[in-house]
Amino acid sequence: MSLEELAFLALAIIAVATAALALLVRELVHTILWIAIFFVDLSAIYFLLDAPFLGVLQLGVYAGAVTILLLFGVMTTRKRIFSREAATGLGPIPVALALVTFIFLVSALGELPQSETSIQSYPPQALSVNLFGPNGPWLLLLGLIMLAGVAGAIYLVREGRE
Amino acid sequence: MTDLSITGFVALSAALFGIGLFGILTRRNFILLLISIEVAMNAAILNFVYFAAFAPGTSGLNGQSIAVVLVGFAATEVAVGLAIVLALNRLKGTINVARATDLKL
Repeated sequence: MSLEELAFLALAIIAVATAALALLVRELVHTILWIAIFFVDLSAIYFLLDAPFLGVLQLGVYAGAVTILLLFGVMTTRKRIFSREAATGLGPIPVALALVTFIFLVSALGELPQSETSIQSYPPQALSVNLFGPNGPWLLLLGLIMLAGVAGAIYLVREGRE
Repeated sequence: MTDLSITGFVALSAALFGIGLFGILTRRNFILLLISIEVAMNAAILNFVYFAAFAPGTSGLNGQSIAVVLVGFAATEVAVGLAIVLALNRLKGTINVARATDLKL
């Protein structure tokens, strides 16, 4: 087993474990701490896949901004930050549905083409040329949706709304 | 460069999507619901990144570009979601989605 495979195995186990723990612990703040570790772990996977720009983006946007936003949401909606959630039952149907989805997705693994190529590494310059060239419309769409998101968020939280 | 196989990556994102789906179906707290959606969405973004890494030629750059755009979409979605959390908390005094039964107050 090569070093990369060991690294991927460790990162995958950490990702699944932190995602599961985040949704199973009862303190909301602990959830957010676990999910922050999950985001950092995903960015490590991006670095493993030779996508450094995406790794840095994941660190900045998810591990930084989204985590702080979620903490801010917790801070403004409850008096005591460490109060526990009411226990929610696991419920057989959601667990079964999630398991069925997982098994269905894994069953498609056999149909994947076995790639002969090793991992491609692209310099960030090539990525930005591609992002602003052929994929420019997506970037414009992202800008429009972000603008609409900002306007909608301000509308939702503005004062004096009756 | 490396000899990682694509199978393990797809299995990882399938597992993450299953966990996210489970969270979406069971959690009643709006913030936990948002976190579950983020987990599922990250599983999808992960798919784009490693299919990009294993694509032949320079076609993988498209996958990475889409992943960059999707990260922006997900961040916007969290921002709007938290605005809804704040509005819901102000109107109802709770962020339990099971209590959000009215269209208008």
